[in-house]
Amino acid sequence: MIKKQTIADILTEWKKDPIMRERIVHWHTIEKKEAGLADFPEDLHPSIQQALKARGINQLYTHQRQAYDSARNGKSFTAITPTASGKSLCYHLPVLQSIVEDPSSRALYLFPTKALAQDQKSDLNLLIEQMNQDILIYTYDGDTSPGIRTKVRKAGHIVLTNPDMLHSGILPHHTKWVSLFENLNYIVVDELHTYKGVFGSHVAHVLRRLKRICHYYGSNPIFICTSATIANPKELAESLTNDTHKLIDQNGAPSGKKNFIFYNPPIVHPTFGVRRSAILEVRDISKRLYNEGIQTIVFAKSRVRVEMLVTYLKELNKKKLNDQSIRGYRGGYLPSERREIEKGLREGTIRTVVSTNALELGVDIGQLQACIMTGYPGNIASAWQQAGRAGRRQDEALIIYVAQSTALDQYIVNNPSFLLGQSPEEARIYPENLIILMDHLKCASFELPFKTTEQYGEFEIQELLAYLEAEGILVKTSDKWHWMSDRFPAHEISLRSASQENVIIIDRTIPVSTKVIGEMDRYSAMTLLHEEAIYLHQGIQFQVEKLDWEEKKAFVREVDVDYFTDANLAIELKVMSEDQKKIFKNGSMSYGDVSILAMATIFKKIRFDTHDNIGSGPIQLPPEELHTSASWLSFDRPRGWTDSILSDAMTGAAASIASFIPLFVQCDRRDIHVVPQVKSVHAELPTIFVYDSYPGGIGISERVFEVWPELLAHVEQHVMGCPCDQGCPACIGPQDAVVGVKPEVLKLLGYLQIELTSNGDPHVI
Amino acid sequence: MVILMSFEKNLLEMKKLIKKKPTKTQSLKSFVVPQKPNYTTAWEDAGLTMIENEFGIVFEKKTIYEPTYFHGDIKLSDVFEAFSLWNSFQGVHPISTDGQQVVFFDTETTGLKGTGTYIFLIGQLVWKENHFEMIQHVLADPSHEVALLYESGLWKPGHTIVSYNGKSFDWPQLQTRWVLNRDHLPKLVDPNHIDLLHGARRIWRNELDQFKLTKIEEEKLGFKRVGDIPGYLAPIIYLDAVKSGIPTTLLKVLHHNEWDILSLLTLFIHTTKLILQEKYNDSSVSSTNIGKWFSDLKDFDNGQNVFEQVINQYSKIDAAQAFYLIGYEYKRRKQITLAYEAFEKSLINLPDQLQIQAYEELSKIDEHFKKDFSKAKHHVGLAIILIDKSKNLKPLQRSRKMRIFEKRLQRILIKQNKLFPGEAQISTGNE
Repeated sequence: MIKKQTIADILTEWKKDPIMRERIVHWHTIEKKEAGLADFPEDLHPSIQQALKARGINQLYTHQRQAYDSARNGKSFTAITPTASGKSLCYHLPVLQSIVEDPSSRALYLFPTKALAQDQKSDLNLLIEQMNQDILIYTYDGDTSPGIRTKVRKAGHIVLTNPDMLHSGILPHHTKWVSLFENLNYIVVDELHTYKGVFGSHVAHVLRRLKRICHYYGSNPIFICTSATIANPKELAESLTNDTHKLIDQNGAPSGKKNFIFYNPPIVHPTFGVRRSAILEVRDISKRLYNEGIQTIVFAKSRVRVEMLVTYLKELNKKKLNDQSIRGYRGGYLPSERREIEKGLREGTIRTVVSTNALELGVDIGQLQACIMTGYPGNIASAWQQAGRAGRRQDEALIIYVAQSTALDQYIVNNPSFLLGQSPEEARIYPENLIILMDHLKCASFELPFKTTEQYGEFEIQELLAYLEAEGILVKTSDKWHWMSDRFPAHEISLRSASQENVIIIDRTIPVSTKVIGEMDRYSAMTLLHEEAIYLHQGIQFQVEKLDWEEKKAFVREVDVDYFTDANLAIELKVMSEDQKKIFKNGSMSYGDVSILAMATIFKKIRFDTHDNIGSGPIQLPPEELHTSASWLSFDRPRGWTDSILSDAMTGAAASIASFIPLFVQCDRRDIHVVPQVKSVHAELPTIFVYDSYPGGIGISERVFEVWPELLAHVEQHVMGCPCDQGCPACIGPQDAVVGVKPEVLKLLGYLQIELTSNGDPHVI
Repeated sequence: MVILMSFEKNLLEMKKLIKKKPTKTQSLKSFVVPQKPNYTTAWEDAGLTMIENEFGIVFEKKTIYEPTYFHGDIKLSDVFEAFSLWNSFQGVHPISTDGQQVVFFDTETTGLKGTGTYIFLIGQLVWKENHFEMIQHVLADPSHEVALLYESGLWKPGHTIVSYNGKSFDWPQLQTRWVLNRDHLPKLVDPNHIDLLHGARRIWRNELDQFKLTKIEEEKLGFKRVGDIPGYLAPIIYLDAVKSGIPTTLLKVLHHNEWDILSLLTLFIHTTKLILQEKYNDSSVSSTNIGKWFSDLKDFDNGQNVFEQVINQYSKIDAAQAFYLIGYEYKRRKQITLAYEAFEKSLINLPDQLQIQAYEELSKIDEHFKKDFSKAKHHVGLAIILIDKSKNLKPLQRSRKMRIFEKRLQRILIKQNKLFPGEAQISTGNE
C-alpha cells in the first residue's frame, strides 16, 4: 500500500510539476504566528478562573483581555476575531462576571441563525458547569417548547436568540420579559459582518427597537460585537447599534503556517481566451486531496454548483455502498440534515464537504486541512472567512483559489495583492431605506406608543407617524400616537428578504409519501424552480413537474438526466424620478427612483461536462415588480455607430461594470443589476442603468453615482489588460459571435470617460 | 397588502420626510392626565356615562337584572343554588367557588396578542343585594387606559373571576396592559379564576365539535342570539368609533359582551348542576365525561357514583363508556369480578381505541387472575383483528399496538403450553 501524502508532500510535488507551475499563478505563504498573551484580570471571579484553568487556559489572548477591560468600563466595543481565535471569551467573560457579581443581571446574545445560537449554548453550558455556578442560559427560538418559555423569560440569565425571533417573538411581547429588560447589561452581537445590506438594515432597526424597550424599562445595556475582518467594523457596528464603539483589532491568537495558492485554469481556446471550467478543475483538485485523505472544504458560489460538484465527486465512491464521506451543504437542506453533516465533519467521517457560503459562518465543524474556493466569493472578507476554515494549529494548511473566467475572478488571480495586501471592503447598511424604516416604525409603534415629541433612534419621525395615522393604523391623542389596528405588524415583515414567502419544494417521487425537501426564496424560484427545471438536492436530480405560484409550492420528481437547466430573466425598466443629475456636454449621470418589471422568459437545457445547449422552453410565470433606486449614465450615440454595434458594445461594457461594482461597494454581486438600453424610455438616449435589487434601494447605486469616473477607468484598464483578442468571459462577458466586440467596448469606455470627465465643470441641476 | 400598495405609490413623496438627528434621550414615563376626546358628548348622548377619575375618563354602562330574569332557559337567581351546591361539596374541583364575591368577566380587545393590542371593553356581572348588576367600562381613547384599568377594580383582592377562555386570553392580556401602566396602578393580584371553557371542553368532549360560546348557548342553554355582531368585527368597530367619534355600532359590541357574560352565568349554573346535582343531566356522554373528570381529579368515589348513575339511567348501549370507565374503578379497588363484568358489558358500543383497551384489560384478568389462557388468547385475538381492520388508527399507532398484542399473545401461548390440557386452574378472583 502506498503511503498517503501530506500537504507538504503535495506542495513539493506541485512545485516541480511544470503543468502545475504554469497554472499556479501565485504562491503565498503566511508564516506561523505566535500568541500574544495577557494575564487574567485581577477581579475575574475565582469560579471563572477555575473554569478556564480546567480547560487548560492560564492566560488570555491580548484581545480577550482588552475586551474584558472595555466591557467592565461600560464601553461598547467591537472585536475583530478571525476563525478560531477564541472570540466567544470576549463576551462570555464580562457577561459571566456580571452575573456572578449580581444574579439579577441579564444578557442577550444575538446570532444570525438559530443553529449558531444552539452551538454556542452547548459550549457556554460546559463553561458554566466548570464554573460550578447557578447560571441559567437558554436559547429562545421557534424550537423552544411552550412549557419552558415562561422560565426563559423570567429566570434566564443569558438568552441566546436570533434577530428574527427578537423581532417577532420577543419585542412585541416585551411585557412578558420585564425581568430581562429591566436588568439587561449586555447585548452581544456575534458575526457582526453578516449584518450588511438589506438584512443588516432590518437588524439595525430591530436593535433600535430593542434599545427603545430597554430604555422604557430603565436599562442601558452596552453592546459587544464580534466580527470577521472587514474594512469598517467600527462604522458598521456604530450604524447597526446607533452607539459609539471602541475597536479591538489587535488579535492575540496564534495560527499555523498557511499556503495560499492562486490557480488559473488553462486556456483551451486562445482566440477567445476561453479557459477550462473552474468547476472541472476544482473537481480534479478535490479528487486528489480526497485520495490523499486530506479533509477538505470546497466552496462553490451557488446552490447549483454545489450540487454539480457533489455529483461529480460522488463518482469517486460509486462502488462503495451508502458512502457518506462526500457531502454537500447549503441553505435549503433541512436542519436535521445539516446537524448530521456538521457532526460528520467534526468527527472526521466526512472527508470532503462542498458548501455555499453557508459554512463561512461560525457553524462548529472543527478545523479542516484544506480549502478550495471555486471562484472569488464576491468580497475579501468572505474570502478570508472561507480560508479560515483550513488550518489546524500544528499542521500546515492549504488554501487554493481557483479562478473562474469572469472579469473579477481573472482580475484577482492576476492581482493577488488585491486579496492579500489590500484591506477588505466596507460592509454597508442603509437604515434610511424608507420601506425598511416604515416597516419598523410600525413595529415600534405597536410595541410602545410614540410621544408627539419623541424621535426614533437617529430619525425624526413625527411626519412619518402622521402618514401612518392617515393610513388608519395609528390614532393620535393629546400627546401620543397609539397603534389602533388588529394587525400584528412583525408577522408581516420578514428580515431576510424582500419577498417574504418562500417556495416550498415537495418531492412526490413516491405518490403516497410526498415530503418537503427544501425551500427557496421567490426571486430565485423564478429561475430555478420553473416547470421542467432540473433541481438538484444532495446530488440527486429532481425535475419540477408543477410550480403552484399562488400556493408557493413546487412539486418535483426524482429523475436521472445528463443535463441541468439555466433560465433567463427579462427586465423592463422605467425612471420614476430623477433626484440628482450632473450634466455634461454629450451626456449626463443621474441618480433617482426606478420601477422594474422582472419576468422569467425561457430556459435552456445544458449538458453536463460539455456544457452544450441541448434544448429550451418557455417559462410561464407572472412578472415581479420592484421599485428601487438606480444610478444611470445617458450619452449621445457615438458618431457612425449602428444600433447593433452599440447594443453589443453596451452589453459588454455592462457585464464588465457589473463585475467591478462589488470592488467599490461591499455588496453581493446579486445586490445590484446593470441594464443597458440603446434607447432608454425616459431620455431616448443610450443609457446604462445600475439598480439596487431591493425595494426602496439599499444605498449601492447611490454610491455608484459618486464613483462613476473611477469605476469606468478601472473597467477600461482591466478590459485593455486582458490577454484575449476579441473579448472573453474574463473581460466583457461571453461572446456569441465569432468576432467579438472588444475593440468597440474599449472605444465606448474611452468615449464615456471623455464625456464624463474632460468637459470642464459639469453643470449640476 | 392594500396599505403596502398605496404606500409604494407614495414612496417618492415620502422620501423627503426622512430626517436624521443625533439620538437624544427622552423619558417615556411620567404621568399627565390626558385630554378628553372631542366626542364625549356624542358618547354620552348614546347612553354611556362618563366617569372621571384621577387618571382621566372612562365610559360606563350599567344594566340591572331582576333575580327572576331568564336568559335562555335558565333563571339568573339559580346561581344561588349553584353556589350552595359548591358550598356543600366536600372535594376539590376546578369549577368550585369558595364563598368569595364571584365576578362574571369578559373583555373585548383591539387584536389578538402583543403589546399593541388594547382592551377596550371590560364587562363584569355581580350580585348586588337584591339584583344582578352588569357594569361595562369602555376605553374612552387609548390615552385613557389607566383610567379604565383603575376603574375596573379588578386589582381589588378577594374575588373569584369566572370567564370563558380567560385563562389563556383575557387575563394575560390584562396583565400585559397592567405592566405597561404599572407605574400608576395598584398591583394586580391573580384572583381565583374559573375558566368555563376548560369545563365545557371536558363535559362535552365527543358530543360537541365546537366550543364557541354561541354554539353552547344554542345547544345547551336554550339561547339564540338575534342581531348579534360577530366577535371578530369588534376590533374594527372600536377603531372606527374612536376615529369617527360615532358610537352607534360600538353599542352593538357592548350588547355582544353583555350576552357573553349573561351566558357565562347560565353556563356556570348549568355546568355546576350537571356536575353536582343528581338526576340533572343532559346526555349520557356528558355525564360519563363528568365521571371521568372526577376520576382524573382522583375523586374516585364521586367518579364511581356518576358512572353508576349513568348505568342505571341509560340504555346499555349509551352506558357502554360508563361501564368501561367503571371497570377501571373496580380494578383499582381490586374487585376483579366486577371489573371483568363491566369491561365485558362495555364492549357493546365503544370506539375502536377503547375497545382494544377493553380487550386488553379482559385478557389481563383472564391471564393473571383467572388463569384462563384460552379465554385470554380469545380476547387478544379479537383485539388483533380489530387493530388490523380499524380505520381509526394511524399507521404508527397500528404497528405499535400490533407489536404489544403479539408479544402478549406469545406469552400467553407459552404459559398455555406449560400446562397439560385440562389442568388449567380457574381462579375466581378475590372479592
